[in-house]
This record gives sequence, C-alpha cells and structure tokens, in this order.
Amino acid sequence: MTAEEILGQIQQRFGDAISAAEVKGPEVRATVKPEVAWEACRFLRDAGFEYLNCLSGVDWTTHLEVVYDLSSLQHPLKAHLRVPVGREAPMIRTVTDIWSAANWHERECYDLFGVRFDGHPDHRRILLPEDWVGYPLRKDYADERMVPYTEYGLEEKLPRAEGEKPAVKAAPRPAPAKPAAPSPEAPKPS
Amino acid sequence: MNETHTPIPVGTTVVVERTDETMEEMYVNMGPQHPSTHGVLRLMLKLDGEYITDCVPYVGYLHRCHEKIGENRNYTQVIPYTDRLDYLASMSMNFGYVQAVERLMGLAVPPRAEYMRVILAELQRIASHLIWLGTFGLDLGNFTIFIYCFREREMVLDLFEAVSGQRLNYSFYRIGGMAMDFPDGWVENCRGFLEWFKPRLPEYDALMTDNILFRKRVEGVGILPTRTAVEYAASGPVLRGSGVAWDLRRNDPYSVYDRFEFDVPAYDSCDVWARYLVRRQEMAQSVRIVEQALAQLPAGEIQAKVPKTIKPPAGQVYARTESPRGELGFYLVSDGSPKPYRYKVRSPAFVNLSALPEMLKGCLVADCVAVLGSVDIVLGEVDR
Repeated sequence: MTAEEILGQIQQRFGDAISAAEVKGPEVRATVKPEVAWEACRFLRDAGFEYLNCLSGVDWTTHLEVVYDLSSLQHPLKAHLRVPVGREAPMIRTVTDIWSAANWHERECYDLFGVRFDGHPDHRRILLPEDWVGYPLRKDYADERMVPYTEYGLEEKLPRAEGEKPAVKAAPRPAPAKPAAPSPEAPKPS
Repeated sequence: MNETHTPIPVGTTVVVERTDETMEEMYVNMGPQHPSTHGVLRLMLKLDGEYITDCVPYVGYLHRCHEKIGENRNYTQVIPYTDRLDYLASMSMNFGYVQAVERLMGLAVPPRAEYMRVILAELQRIASHLIWLGTFGLDLGNFTIFIYCFREREMVLDLFEAVSGQRLNYSFYRIGGMAMDFPDGWVENCRGFLEWFKPRLPEYDALMTDNILFRKRVEGVGILPTRTAVEYAASGPVLRGSGVAWDLRRNDPYSVYDRFEFDVPAYDSCDVWARYLVRRQEMAQSVRIVEQALAQLPAGEIQAKVPKTIKPPAGQVYARTESPRGELGFYLVSDGSPKPYRYKVRSPAFVNLSALPEMLKGCLVADCVAVLGSVDIVLGEVDR
C-alpha cells in the first residue's frame, strides 16, 4: 500500500476525528482526536506499522499532545500520529496492548507530562522518584531548585533575593609556603 | 524441573511450573550498586528457587533532566549534552543529533564532512563494542579479554584525541559539518590501527567465541523470540540477534552509508550467544566500512554555510541513526526560535532494557548477568 492509500483509508474510516492529515515523503501524518486514538493505532498496526519507534509528549501551552512515531520492518513507510489532550486531567487509552514497547514510553510520558494512560499495566513513574510532585517537562513547571542558565561570567545577572549579594568568584588559592631554611642546630646530612 | 538429573541439551527452554502450593517466591534485589549492572540499574528479581520468574527493572538513578535542559539551550549548545547521553559512543550520539537538526533545516552537508562522520562513527562503534566485549567477558569471569579489548580501545581513543582533543565526550560534530578537519597523518594512523586491529579479532575468538566455558554459559540463555523483539521495538544487536536483519545503515540509509559494502549479521537463535555473535561480526564489518571510507575520502570543506544563530523553521522531525546499541532517535519540535521547543531522545538502551523481563523468563539467577550484559545498556542513555 502506498502512503496515500493508507491516508485515504484512515480518513475514510475516522472521518471527522482526523485533522491535519498529509503525506510527506514516505510518512503519513495525521492528528486524531483522543477518543479514536486507540482505534487509529490499532488500524495502523494492522496496516503494517508493527514497530513503535517513539511515543512522546509535547506541551503546547494550550494543550498537551501525545505523539506516536511508527514504522515498519517490511515496507519503507512511516506514520506520525498526534493526539491532542487537555491540560487538566489529560487521559488517553494505553496502546501497550498494541505495541509492548509503549509500556515504558507511556510511563515516561506520565512521569514528565502527567498524561494518564487508561489501562496501563504498570502506571507509575519511571525516571523520577516515586514521590516526586509535579511534571517537569511541562512548560509551566516551576521549582525553586531550577537555576536559569546564564552565560559564564555574568553571575550578577542571576535572580537573587532582596539584600543578597551577587555571587562572587572564589578567592584565588594562596601561594604555597616556601620551605623553611634548615636551623643551625639540625644535624647536617652526611 | 528435571528430577532425574539427565543433562538438559543446550537450547532447551525450561518451563517452571509451581508444583508445590507452599513454595514461596523470593525477592532478590540487584543494584543499583552492583559490579555487573553496567551502571546504576536496579533489578528486582522474583525467584522460585534458582529460577527467575519475573524481573522488575527500576531506572532513573542517572536521570539528569537532559530533555528539559535541551529546551533551554540553543541548538549548538545541546551538542555537548548529547555526548553525555551514551558516553561510551559520544560520536554516535553527536551524529544522531546533528542529523536530526539538519533534517529539520533541510541542510546539506559537504561530502568530506559526511565521510568524516561515517569514519568516526564506525571507529566509535568498534570502540563501543570493545568495551562491551571486555566488560561482558569480565562479568563472566574472563579477565584477559578485558585487558585485550581496552588495549585496542586505547588506540581508538588516541585517534579520537588526535582529531578532537578529547578521549571521551568529543562534541566533535557540528550542525552542517564537523568542528575541525583531520590533522596531518591521521588517515595513515587510522589505517595503521586497522592493520593492527584485524588480527586481534581472531585473538578475541580464541578467548571467547571458541571457549567452551563461555559457550556453555551463553547458548540457549536469555531467549527473546522474534515476535516479542519486534513488539518491544528492540533494535540494534538485540533485534538482529533475534533473527531480524534490520540495520538502519542498510534499511533506512542516512549520510553516505549507501556507498559502502558491508554485511548485516543476524542470527536466529534469539539468545545471548546470537547477540554476542552479532556484535563480534559488527566489529569486522565496521573495519570494512572505515577502510572503504578512508579510500573514498574526498577533499573539500568540512562545514556547510550556516547562519550564526541556528533557527530551524517551525516544524518537527523524528530522525533515527544506528548507534552501537540500536536505533537512536531524536524527536525535535521547532518553533522557529534558536532553542528547541521539544527535544526528545529515543534511546535504544531504554527500549531494549524494557524487554529484559521477557528475556529473563525461565532463566537461572546465575544467568542474569550474562543476559543483562548481552543487552549492552549504558545508563546515561537509559535515564538521560
């Protein structure tokens, strides 16, 4: 099947739930609504995309998005599926029953973005400690431990509290002490 | 389990069934500090006697917020961070990243730079496989192979130091080309290394491949069936050791890999032995590629004209390359600004490690180290 044929079948099957569908080179791209995302993934898997390359999240400030990158070991086509989800209580059905590779990818997406995957067999954080609060890769994540990046040498531009002095460079190391001259009473080396 | 003590042929799959209602599962914790977990990896093993019934990997001990940092640096500043992902294959990490940015920008790289990239990436593959071979043998008790492999790896590191100034974490690739050209005499030194290295591979065979003690420990152990490997999106030697002859350099070529003749080793036995053979053969194939690339190396510039501030047009790309551990993918989203809007690393070791519980089903706890070594993980890449 060519990429155009696959795209045509998706559009025919899912109709309104598909938006921004196009074919770019060997890649079929589509944005689907979360309600039909699982079915669309299932359809693509049955169409030959048995290899899940990557499942990632993106934070588009207005909403979050779960992105699936699929490919096949049999044919050179690729698929790129985007599923927008809301920021409050983002939830989408898991695809671990379609591709087992999604298991850890979805755990990571939950860990860093807070997207919940309905039906995931092991729904817990993977990279951060279990008791971490917050979802760091979101654009509105704030943490007092995060230090903004400034160019080296411009420490005075770092934000600081009232009355706090700007960070100073460390004092230079003192020169090593000269060895003391031997005293007259010390026995001369033979 | 075999009650009559007749020898079990190599390659038999042992199915463990609970025959006794009072038998209890024992939980054994391996790591995160452990000499054989190849980094800070914690494995919770559920044992039924000596047999592993399940394994739960805990990762994240080396998480360094790589992706969040990437959103706060411009595209060139991310390159030194990519070195530290898989710090044993920094050239390959650089390669994957600059490839992704160039694809996003639609940038063409000068031919000499492309050949330099391939040469350095294949030398890096040899160095990475040498570390794998040495540490794998060391885990199983072969101390000599470790010393031999690191001797050759030091030569590769000398070549890398001559070209980039660094032994590890080179940051040598740039968006649009390379940082510097090969110094005078480097090509001859590289050829000299390859001449030294080619007879070393039979030495490694004498120590490992033809060693009955090693063979008995790895044949039939850690089976990852082909279908499971594809479902878990395994890549690299793990996938090729499960019978799928899939190599991105051959099947989805990038850079100038389509100009070289090389074989893609794949074996059907789906066990640790197959993965071992794949990497062992890959070292020989990498030597072939480097020889051909050195012979074809064109003259010319090593860096395309790029603007001072790299601002790819708004869009997204998923670009994949074949790193020594498998499919390294970079998913980049650009909003037209000098910094990536979203920067995701699809790490091959992360995905291959998720298949470890499947590989350990039915293994003895003594086989755990061999199976884990055959996956060849680097925690810097798993945790980012």
